[in-house]
Amino acid sequence: MGQLDYINHLLILLCIYLILAQSFNFAFGLGGLFNLAHIAAYALGAYCTAILSTDYDKSFFYCLGVSAVIAAFFSLLLGAIAIRLSQEYFAVGTLAFSAIVSSFLINWKSLTHGVLGIPNIPRPVIGQIDFYQNSNFLALLVGLTALIMFLFYLLFYGRFARDLKAQAENPYATMAIGKSVSSIRNDAFIISSVFASIGGSIFSYYLNYIDPSSFTLAEMVFVMSIVVLGKPGSFWGTIWATTFLVLLPEPLRFVQINASILGPMRQLLYAVILFLVVYYKRATIFPQKREV
Amino acid sequence: MLKISNLQLSIGDTKILDDISLTVRPGEHVGIIGPNGSGKTTLFNCISGFLTPQSGKIIFCNKDLLKLAPHNRALHGVGRVFQNFGIFREMTVLENVVAAIETKKMSGIFPWSKSYQRHVSQAQEFLAEVGLGDKADKKAGTLSGGQMRLLEISRALAFGAEMFMLDEPTAGVSPKMKGEVESLLTKLSRLNKTVLIIEHDMNFIQRLCGRIIVMDTGKIILDDTPENVRINPQLQEIYFGTINNDAHNGNQKGQA
Repeated sequence: MGQLDYINHLLILLCIYLILAQSFNFAFGLGGLFNLAHIAAYALGAYCTAILSTDYDKSFFYCLGVSAVIAAFFSLLLGAIAIRLSQEYFAVGTLAFSAIVSSFLINWKSLTHGVLGIPNIPRPVIGQIDFYQNSNFLALLVGLTALIMFLFYLLFYGRFARDLKAQAENPYATMAIGKSVSSIRNDAFIISSVFASIGGSIFSYYLNYIDPSSFTLAEMVFVMSIVVLGKPGSFWGTIWATTFLVLLPEPLRFVQINASILGPMRQLLYAVILFLVVYYKRATIFPQKREV
Repeated sequence: MLKISNLQLSIGDTKILDDISLTVRPGEHVGIIGPNGSGKTTLFNCISGFLTPQSGKIIFCNKDLLKLAPHNRALHGVGRVFQNFGIFREMTVLENVVAAIETKKMSGIFPWSKSYQRHVSQAQEFLAEVGLGDKADKKAGTLSGGQMRLLEISRALAFGAEMFMLDEPTAGVSPKMKGEVESLLTKLSRLNKTVLIIEHDMNFIQRLCGRIIVMDTGKIILDDTPENVRINPQLQEIYFGTINNDAHNGNQKGQA
């Protein structure tokens, strides 16, 4: 891999994780929705795009749109059951959904090819422009990520963010000023899942190949680490934390360590960071809920 | 007008609210007193929709509140001020009021939109009126107890509540700030807002309310003017237990 390719690769990963982490931050950081099915929405987007673009030869925007609609549908379905649960039970409920999706990806072989995954996912072609080159793909992705970050910026600093923060801190007081807590939570859950699925779509286009191993709980831990390190609810914090954590393990590549140790070392590094931040910032990450 | 008829709420075999019926006229200020566990806050929670009674009716402004979700009751004019300060501590003081204004009037999506700026100036006016204008950009959690209470009441006012249910508004409030809370509540009377206050401070409640309801073990046992309630022996009994007059008199003689 040339130097430029390597930089392109890192920037593409950065963009994908920015979308994934910011969408998680929106629901968890602002709204206190500890949604462990976030990675399932990411997987749904990735698989939906992979199937539509390989088996049905559908266009980039079609795949993105359908992936987003499917993720929205599933989050609506899951939300109807899980959104009324309190924080801990909500986390368990969404984790269960994530496990179900993971099980489907492995076992529904006629659709997902099971553990073999889906190969030969073509890069997008929009009009006359193809994005086979990583530099072209990066340009497309930077534009898309900038647009998504702008939308999140509006959401983070607008009316919806105030509602979301209000219900996270005091659901009774939120209802007392005429806001439907379940609607706010549902909307946040759907928005978050839709953008996670878009992240998944881009991921499958970029790698040209996906399999269930990319959508495990370890990936969720990484996304959580980003949001927790950047301070939950902070728009800019998530951006710097994504940059920091995506680039952090890169220097390890240049250290003479056996590859079989290097992989687990990265996971260990994220786990240590997550543990330290949660330990020292527990009061702000999981604030006490207020009751009537 | 608020009309509650035969409200019943039990948890297991324990009756929390036992056949509560009462009518409150528009603009009336009613104090609710009673010992801890008498069902005062439960009654408020039933009106707000946080608890669902097993039977009975709650009609407010010709609307059956029991058919409405809690947020819809608020939209119908039912305001609530919580005992444990129902403010959003992590938000700024200004954001607390803006969030309430935005419920009925949608702000534009952009933070720099004209509608949002209009809501901000409205919120600043509400805050200036209760003397919190200079605290607008501070986190609400940094306010004193009295300031939090003022913020909560002015937020309900900004939201457009017609009936205010205040659960111990002077709890955790300094004597100086009590006066400010009282003058804000007096202002609600001028605005013809209906007010229900749960309170233990009889002097405070007597100054604000023309009518006092006494609750005990889930029942309304007295509903009268503050003067009559104050001298009612039943109230003495609830708070201090049965007074053995003979023993009391004998003790006094002994001391003499």
